[in-house]
Amino acid sequence: MTPTRAAAAAVVAIAVALFAATFWFEQMPEGITRGFGAELFPRMVLGAIAALAVLLAIMPASSPPLPRIPPMVWYSGASLLAFMALVPVIGMLPAMFVFLVGVGWMWGERRRLLLVVSSVGLTLAIWAVFVKGFGIQLPKGLFA
Amino acid sequence: MEHFLGGMALLLDPYILWVVFAGTVIGIVVGALPGISGSTTTALLLPFTITMGPIPALAFLGSIYCAANFGGSITAILVNSPGDPSASATAFDGYPMAQRGEAGRALGMSAVASAIGGIFSVIVLIVAAPLLARVAYSFGPPEYFALAVFGLSMVAMTGGDSSIKNLIAGAFGVLLATVGQDLTTGVERYTFGIHSFSDGIEFIPVLIGLFALAELFEQAAQLGERTVAAKLGAVRLPSWQDIKDCSKAIGLSSALGTFIGILPALGATTAAMIAYVETKRWSKNKAQFGKGAIEGVAGPEAANNAAVGGAMVPTLALGIPGSTTTAIILAGLIVQGVRPGPHLFTEQPLLLYAVFSSMLLANLLYLVLGLGFAKVFARISMVPAPYLWPAVFVLSVIGAYAPNQAMAEVWVAIAFGGIGFFMKRYGFSPAPLVIGLVLGKMVEETLKQSLLIFDLSWGGFLGRPIALTLFGLTVLFLLGPSLLQRLRGKP
Repeated sequence: MTPTRAAAAAVVAIAVALFAATFWFEQMPEGITRGFGAELFPRMVLGAIAALAVLLAIMPASSPPLPRIPPMVWYSGASLLAFMALVPVIGMLPAMFVFLVGVGWMWGERRRLLLVVSSVGLTLAIWAVFVKGFGIQLPKGLFA
Repeated sequence: MEHFLGGMALLLDPYILWVVFAGTVIGIVVGALPGISGSTTTALLLPFTITMGPIPALAFLGSIYCAANFGGSITAILVNSPGDPSASATAFDGYPMAQRGEAGRALGMSAVASAIGGIFSVIVLIVAAPLLARVAYSFGPPEYFALAVFGLSMVAMTGGDSSIKNLIAGAFGVLLATVGQDLTTGVERYTFGIHSFSDGIEFIPVLIGLFALAELFEQAAQLGERTVAAKLGAVRLPSWQDIKDCSKAIGLSSALGTFIGILPALGATTAAMIAYVETKRWSKNKAQFGKGAIEGVAGPEAANNAAVGGAMVPTLALGIPGSTTTAIILAGLIVQGVRPGPHLFTEQPLLLYAVFSSMLLANLLYLVLGLGFAKVFARISMVPAPYLWPAVFVLSVIGAYAPNQAMAEVWVAIAFGGIGFFMKRYGFSPAPLVIGLVLGKMVEETLKQSLLIFDLSWGGFLGRPIALTLFGLTVLFLLGPSLLQRLRGKP
């Protein structure tokens, strides 16, 4: 299957699932809906999406196979999730510092001092501008 | 006139001046950073405008929008890697000029042509937007529905190469706008039990995810690709002969760029590409194009900046975004509690004229800054990816978290970062999705109101000539290109 057809199939699958979900919307009496229930508009849009996806699948188009996603993309995605897991434990600002150093290192920076100093600088700048300046309360973690 | 003077007078306010200056500098810097476009920057900085109030917020975002297009030309000329997609055409001749030691002359021409194009389009904006608003003032829900559908049909030409994929992305954007409580019935749609979705999906985390975080994944995929920078040399004003040689290109491209910008959903990138082709067509030095013709820099740069003012015309006069960045600015207006549309000209004229005058100032500012500090901006554009992109993530987190101080919004941003990455991988541009998201509520509300007016009969639209014309244009724009292609293919 070409990447375009795979994408079209995925779009149809998502549209069907979301169309099915409209049957679980709360039903209201005709007097309230005035002939235009909450499910009607999403169904119209989903119908259009499905029709367009079918058109996409049957249209002749050159669609070369996609290259593999480089492992660094997955590692970077995992780093984002690790950051989110760290926030409730050590707080947002320390988690940001760890992220800046960790991802900078992972992406190939080997000048340790520069990496640490720039990460400390950015973290401090965020604290000064957003916490002190705008008064935003950032998550503090378990040890605060 | 009095409102315009009032808007100009606002520029005497040191705070507004500072905001425009900051927006212009940020616009040039981030425009020059490869991978961070004007749309990414406005999405990233949108949350920080919430505390500013509508006038400074719009002046700030408008200045970024104006300056980012120029900033994009710095890296296009120096490293053959456009900082902003709208500067892609600039690289065709700008980089060859830089390679033969004329980077300064190319950057000088880019600054001058950008400023002329930008100022021309803001003047058109000042004249055309109130006229368009006056026409639209008599529009009822059926006309607005037709207009929104027309705006959505234009997403077929926005973003990626496939118009069908663009339309699918746009339709998903409209669908995303249905998340939350239905206004008529109070029924919750697609909230999946998540309480914070009841009021709908917040624009800010979606925009940050689609533009900033998706780009982070893109950059992770391209790690190790290196670009070679050309020597900058002195940045100087183009000679009178240069300006004379390029005057036709700048004039033609400014008009073209403004017109293309006014068309809903078509933005600076399309304007620059078309202007490059037209500049070459009307030039006496066609053979020099692609080898370092200065007109090849002047044309696209005048056009992409002219498209900025053009794109603001339907955005402010009708509430229909003229480009991806104006869709984000429109979202910013809505977040500020300002409902865009023709009534703005009667209800909040000062707000609009403050935007116009701040855009004029931003165009003059980046001319001065571009000529004076291009070397500094060029150096900033060389920030290595291991520093730049983790910093972008950290700012994205703060941007998504700050408005509601909720980690759920950060999760939404990360989720849309992943969605945006896979969309791009399969050839779906996130730009149509954003336009669909911004227009979605308007489409549904005006459709409902229209059907109520017509007693639930779709035939009611037949009695509305303006709506019918707009539907006709929609069909023409959707089917026209493929019909034309077929006719050409079958002699």
